[in-house]
Amino acid sequence: MAQESSRLDLLQGTLDLLILRALRSGAMHGWAVSERIQQISQDVLRVNQGSLYPALHRLEHRGWIKAEWGISELGRRARFYSLTASGRKQLEIEAVNWSKLTDAIARVLRMA
Amino acid sequence: MQWKDYSLRLRALLFRRRMDEELQEELQFHIDMQANKNQRNESDTVEATRQARLQFGSVVRATEECREERGISFLEIAGRDLRFALRMLRKSPGFAAVAILTLALGIGANTAIFSVIHSVLLSNLPVTDPQQLVFLTNPDEQGLEIGFGDGDRDFVTYPEFQQLEQNNQVFSGLLAASNFTSRIPVELADPAASSAPAHVSLISGSYFSVLGVTPILGRAFGPEVDKLRDANPIAVISYAFWQNRFGGGRDVIGRTIRILNTSYEVIGVTPPPFHGETVGANPDIWVPLTMQNEIFPGQDYLSQEPNPFRKTEWLQVIGRLKPGVTLAQAKASIEVEFHQMMEAQTSGMSAEKKKQFLNQHLPVTPGSHGASTLRADFGKPLLILMVIVGLILLIACANIANILLARSAARQKEISIRVALGASGSRVFRQVLTESILLAAIGGAVGLLLAQWADAALLRMVSTTSNQVCLDVHANAAVLAFTFGVSLLTGIVFGLTPAFRAARVDLKATTRGTAGTTARPGGVPTGKIIVVAQVSLSLLLLVLAGLFVRSFRNLSQTQLGYDRDHLLEFFVDPLSYGYRATEIPALDQSILLRIDAIPGVAGATLIDNPLVSGRDSSSPVTIEGRKPLPGDNADVRWDMVGANFFSTTGIPILQGRDIAEGDSGNGQRVGVINETMARKFFPHSNPIGQRVFVHTTAGQAPFIIVGIVHDSKQHSAKEMPFPRFYVPYFNPIGNDWTLGAAILVRTVGDPSSFSSAIRSAVKQAAPNLPTVATMETMDQRLSDSLVTDRMIAELSGAFGILAVVLVCIGLYGVMAYATSRRTNEIGVRIALGAQRSGILWLVLRESLLLVLMGAAIGVPLVFAAGKWISSLLFGLQPADPLALVSAIALMFVIGVLASYIPARRATRINPTVALRQE
Repeated sequence: MAQESSRLDLLQGTLDLLILRALRSGAMHGWAVSERIQQISQDVLRVNQGSLYPALHRLEHRGWIKAEWGISELGRRARFYSLTASGRKQLEIEAVNWSKLTDAIARVLRMA
Repeated sequence: MQWKDYSLRLRALLFRRRMDEELQEELQFHIDMQANKNQRNESDTVEATRQARLQFGSVVRATEECREERGISFLEIAGRDLRFALRMLRKSPGFAAVAILTLALGIGANTAIFSVIHSVLLSNLPVTDPQQLVFLTNPDEQGLEIGFGDGDRDFVTYPEFQQLEQNNQVFSGLLAASNFTSRIPVELADPAASSAPAHVSLISGSYFSVLGVTPILGRAFGPEVDKLRDANPIAVISYAFWQNRFGGGRDVIGRTIRILNTSYEVIGVTPPPFHGETVGANPDIWVPLTMQNEIFPGQDYLSQEPNPFRKTEWLQVIGRLKPGVTLAQAKASIEVEFHQMMEAQTSGMSAEKKKQFLNQHLPVTPGSHGASTLRADFGKPLLILMVIVGLILLIACANIANILLARSAARQKEISIRVALGASGSRVFRQVLTESILLAAIGGAVGLLLAQWADAALLRMVSTTSNQVCLDVHANAAVLAFTFGVSLLTGIVFGLTPAFRAARVDLKATTRGTAGTTARPGGVPTGKIIVVAQVSLSLLLLVLAGLFVRSFRNLSQTQLGYDRDHLLEFFVDPLSYGYRATEIPALDQSILLRIDAIPGVAGATLIDNPLVSGRDSSSPVTIEGRKPLPGDNADVRWDMVGANFFSTTGIPILQGRDIAEGDSGNGQRVGVINETMARKFFPHSNPIGQRVFVHTTAGQAPFIIVGIVHDSKQHSAKEMPFPRFYVPYFNPIGNDWTLGAAILVRTVGDPSSFSSAIRSAVKQAAPNLPTVATMETMDQRLSDSLVTDRMIAELSGAFGILAVVLVCIGLYGVMAYATSRRTNEIGVRIALGAQRSGILWLVLRESLLLVLMGAAIGVPLVFAAGKWISSLLFGLQPADPLALVSAIALMFVIGVLASYIPARRATRINPTVALRQE
């Protein structure tokens, strides 16, 4: 399989974290989530749009986010996702884990 | 979280179309938004949309993945697997047919035995809230007991029931039913219907209301029928009786049926599933208890007997617990109440008698399953059969697992292609397992049909002409659930190994094309482990079969002590047909004289307790001038017999003389004792001429011993020798002829040719008696008493043979497969000069080694199982060397037989051809 060199591949599981983080500011639909992640990461992280939706459905199953049909800014019907209480907790846990991991890796890299 | 997940999955399942549409809409929205954004840089709309699609990637794949997350795909995959599995089976119809037939037999046998177990041991009575019902009597017993039994009561008397019903605090209602009446066939007379025997049950007025059974037609009678004796000739009939005898006509209500000399009005019909409180008894007609005198003329089972040691105990009593009352509370309350009732009857008793008398209790036990004598007789044999058929199914599973393993080796190419195309191990696993479960499901469905047929055959096997076993063995929810569960489990058991094997397919080896032509070095092939297990289980089944068959042979060939082939027995009960008690001696004498006069009859006599009937009398005796033996040790069984009883029946007289004509009348009473009684009561002296006192409930009387006879097995082949005392029928203690007597006729030549002459002799002597229905030789009666033993012997024998056939097929399959995989090796051996006999031995040795290992595991299994079944064996030990050695020998013969064809094939391998194959 060919790989794009310009894009940073997301590590396994990090997409979930990014989605949860993106949704912290409020309900938004799938496209907005992908836009927001790209925007905040200044286009470094590009979410594979095809894998965004399975991830959203997965998170919904786990009860971390919930989905409702609403009207988008352009007046079309869209599915809006928002964080649930357990989703918020999960976000905190994953965020802490993530910073631990990156700190550890950074330390290892500095040592070397 | 778990729950939410399930609810989403369920929603996914139910609203699949809608959810798919919503998903499409969501993805489309995303692409449109992306296209919209792209349009800001790109003027061309079409190009913008194309770019958006490219950025998104495969919509189909995203959809699939979303579906997978939603859980819908699991079912879709299962459906796809199922279709594929069906195709695979259709591609190899031979294999499918063999596997399905094997499974159908295995699952069918399990379902058949289970439905009988369910109906006898597990199912509740078809009444309202059966779990509230409580027995105050012994639900495992059936009969009528006259006298006094200490400890837990089997039954209660009618006056006792009336008191219990009045005084009870813990039950919302109490019912009483005679449970021995159903054994007495009664002639029915109705102008419209033909006359035939039917089973009548006497019940209290509360019966139907306590059980909560509402007639489907007409009405039931209530407590009003208990008030007056002989005043309520009304009857409720069973659904089956209504269908069979009245053709299901709605005009049955108000019609009359005639039982003996009384006409009864039919007032109601019970619902189809209701067969009374006793499972397997199936009464046809229920009449009020107060009609006892009409159903059993000349007997009084209703009045209070003045002698408290001589009560007629004949009623089964069931109570319905009041809401909130526990079984323990009911037990405590009944204990107190019953004790008070007994206490009230002890006035004038000596202290010792009183103590003995007050040791009477009512057992209070849960009643939801109803009463049944089948449980005691049939329970353990059924459980043993259940284990046997379970093992058969396991052996059958092993065979199918082995065939599947061989097939999966052949399918390795197909599977490796699937793996190469991206199928994951778990997908392949699931696919192969689906095939197995599909096979098992089809086998289970066919098995369910077979089970219906097998159950009918099974019930015929254990039914005799005098005792029809009727059980509701229709496939109900529990049976269906059992079959479904067993089928699923079966599919998993035999499918697991092949599925694991398939999921671990070695891509490189198969695609190179080398797999399957050389034996894998190291490790024992799974197929062989399976065969060893099969051999050990089959050995167990064979030994069990051998034990049961030999035990049954012992039983049926056991020496009874009297003539079994030329002795006919039938029962006469003059009191029930209008004769008075005082007329009975003359009537019986006249019957005996007329039968004696038939040419070819060697003798005729009678006995109060029929031979091989289970009916017996027991009383303590004392010897004049000696101290009585303590407690139960003084008990002997005693029979009242006619003149020439021993010469007629063929029981050898060891010393002294037979009961003679002259012993009748009111003279000096004489008696004859058996060997065991002589040994026990007269260890050091000659019993002849000694005076013995028999203490019966009717009083005590002295008898002079005039003879000693050989021990005989009076009632069953399994009976142990017991002291027995024979006294003259026509010189009894008290006038105790009320329960009828069995006439015994010894014939010269074929006894069946005498039946019509005997019938007409009885008709002439006693015109009021009904025509004698059943007249059987001792041999027939004995074989009727051995139905359960015969059933186990025949079924375990049949299953033993089935196990042998299955293991033979299994062994053959494994050996044929193993040998075919060794073609190269054998080819090399032959090329290097190995002898044909050496090759033959090479294969046979392997097979025999498998049998040896199986036997080594099987023998301890046999010993473990032996303990469990020893109570059912007669005349041999569970560790019977003959059964064990012959079973092991048979297994080795099978080992040779099953591997002989593969071995012969191996010797004919052409080395050049074999080596070229590589």
